[in-house]
Amino acid sequence: MSEPVSRPNGHPSGAAGHEGMDRRSFLRTSAVLASGMAALAASLAPLRNLRDFPSMERFLQKHYKELTPPEMRKVLDRITREVETQYGLRPEVRDYKPMDGVEFVYCLNLTRCIGCRKCVHACVAENNQSRDPEIQYIRVLRMPHGSLDLEKSDPNYAPDTVPEKGFFYMPVQCQQCKKPPCVKVCPVRATWQQADGITVIDYDWCIGCRYCEAACPYFARRFNWTRPWIPKDRINLNMSYLGNRPRRQGVMEKCHFCIQRTRAGRYPACLEVCPAGARKFGNILDPESEVSYIMKNKRVFIQLKEEVGTSPRFFYYFDV
Amino acid sequence: MVLWMLMLAFAGLTAALGLDLWSHPAQRPSIPLVDASFLSNATARVSAADLVKSGGDTSGLECYTCHDKKETVKLTFDTNGGIVLPKEHIDIAGTNSEGAFMPMAHGRNDRNNNCFNCHNETNLETLQTRDGRELKITESPQLCGSCHGPTYRDWEAGVHGRTSGYWDRALGPIDRKVCTSCHNPHAPKFQPWKPAPRPHALHPVMAGVGQEEKPH
Repeated sequence: MSEPVSRPNGHPSGAAGHEGMDRRSFLRTSAVLASGMAALAASLAPLRNLRDFPSMERFLQKHYKELTPPEMRKVLDRITREVETQYGLRPEVRDYKPMDGVEFVYCLNLTRCIGCRKCVHACVAENNQSRDPEIQYIRVLRMPHGSLDLEKSDPNYAPDTVPEKGFFYMPVQCQQCKKPPCVKVCPVRATWQQADGITVIDYDWCIGCRYCEAACPYFARRFNWTRPWIPKDRINLNMSYLGNRPRRQGVMEKCHFCIQRTRAGRYPACLEVCPAGARKFGNILDPESEVSYIMKNKRVFIQLKEEVGTSPRFFYYFDV
Repeated sequence: MVLWMLMLAFAGLTAALGLDLWSHPAQRPSIPLVDASFLSNATARVSAADLVKSGGDTSGLECYTCHDKKETVKLTFDTNGGIVLPKEHIDIAGTNSEGAFMPMAHGRNDRNNNCFNCHNETNLETLQTRDGRELKITESPQLCGSCHGPTYRDWEAGVHGRTSGYWDRALGPIDRKVCTSCHNPHAPKFQPWKPAPRPHALHPVMAGVGQEEKPH
């Protein structure tokens, strides 16, 4: 085959490329190309199932801090519409601003906590967390008496009744740190600390990189790995932009001290449901508040993981 | 030849992708909704004060439907000095920390077992403190506070016990509960509860965490 063989029409077989493609190689190449395209299309087919594609309005939305009040109103209207389409219920979405002269502090009495986990579920109900998969902001750790070693803690305890002999219970949630490491690491500034001490997340700005989850020493941040699911009859319609409006897949969320309640002067949901009265909340700048009384009169013994220097606004204390 | 093989490979890939031969994520068992009782803000029990406030059935607080106003109530004690409950009042009995029957489970060593330490013998529908103050049946904090001073001080400051409503008093009222909304006055130790379900893991492998432990 090395020497050119003369064909009846006089063309040398190897010279086809010089004068144009012959019919056979054209067909062959296009068949390969067509099958390649088909394979590519088939591999992209799962994109058909893509849901919650952002509307142009959301895609072009500015950062929370740059929104003017009329723009904010538009955004709240959009969220109202989105919730209405998804759940068929009309929510009240508001943007609650921090109050002047208020710094929130949470105090939890370890002597009183009985480990019943009611706070966990009241929080889920109030803040529209996904029920399946389950997202919970509060983890109640069961600890053996006489130690504060988190390595010995167990969040999966399931006895018939609580409290159990020889154990105490320590609920852990976002500690609303004064120096929050989660805020430092956010590459897009989708999370920041506000004047009343609450670290908030703009769910429309979050890119879901989970750096904050890794940075948090308290395992307080939760990621929506899949599309959140909330049954229609358990939706809380009192919503806030930075708080409990429904999240979408691929964003972080965490405890925000029930912004929609506390910035309207009310107590957080976890506090109101606690049957033992172990949870206390208030304004630390008010010397008459419950939390100020606790700081003055109780044995406030820890900020959790004090040594990492995050300076939490969440204090654990003992009676006696 | 190479092109033919490439074409076959592409065709095979198309078929495989079209039939979705792989990428089937493991099915998670669905998570049941938590029982609504765990979401209730109700206190551990209903106090006389709550009952009066809510306009409920207060017939249980009317002592003189059974007792006679002129007759003084005689208490009976057994040989150990423990109180003997009449069958009409057996429902106030509690248990001690070992779960044994206690006619009066208030106070250590059975010593607080005289009804008239708290109830008023001259008017059974009221309470009395040891320093002689007569209190309404709804005024349990003042009565309890006459012995439990530090706890009463905490309660007055809003630090002991259940609160709900508004932390900012300028925006709304705070709802305070009284001692007996949570503590049974005859057996004040907080009773054990059934805990809400533990967290369900997203990943099936994680679901086994903590299960290998012996039950306590």
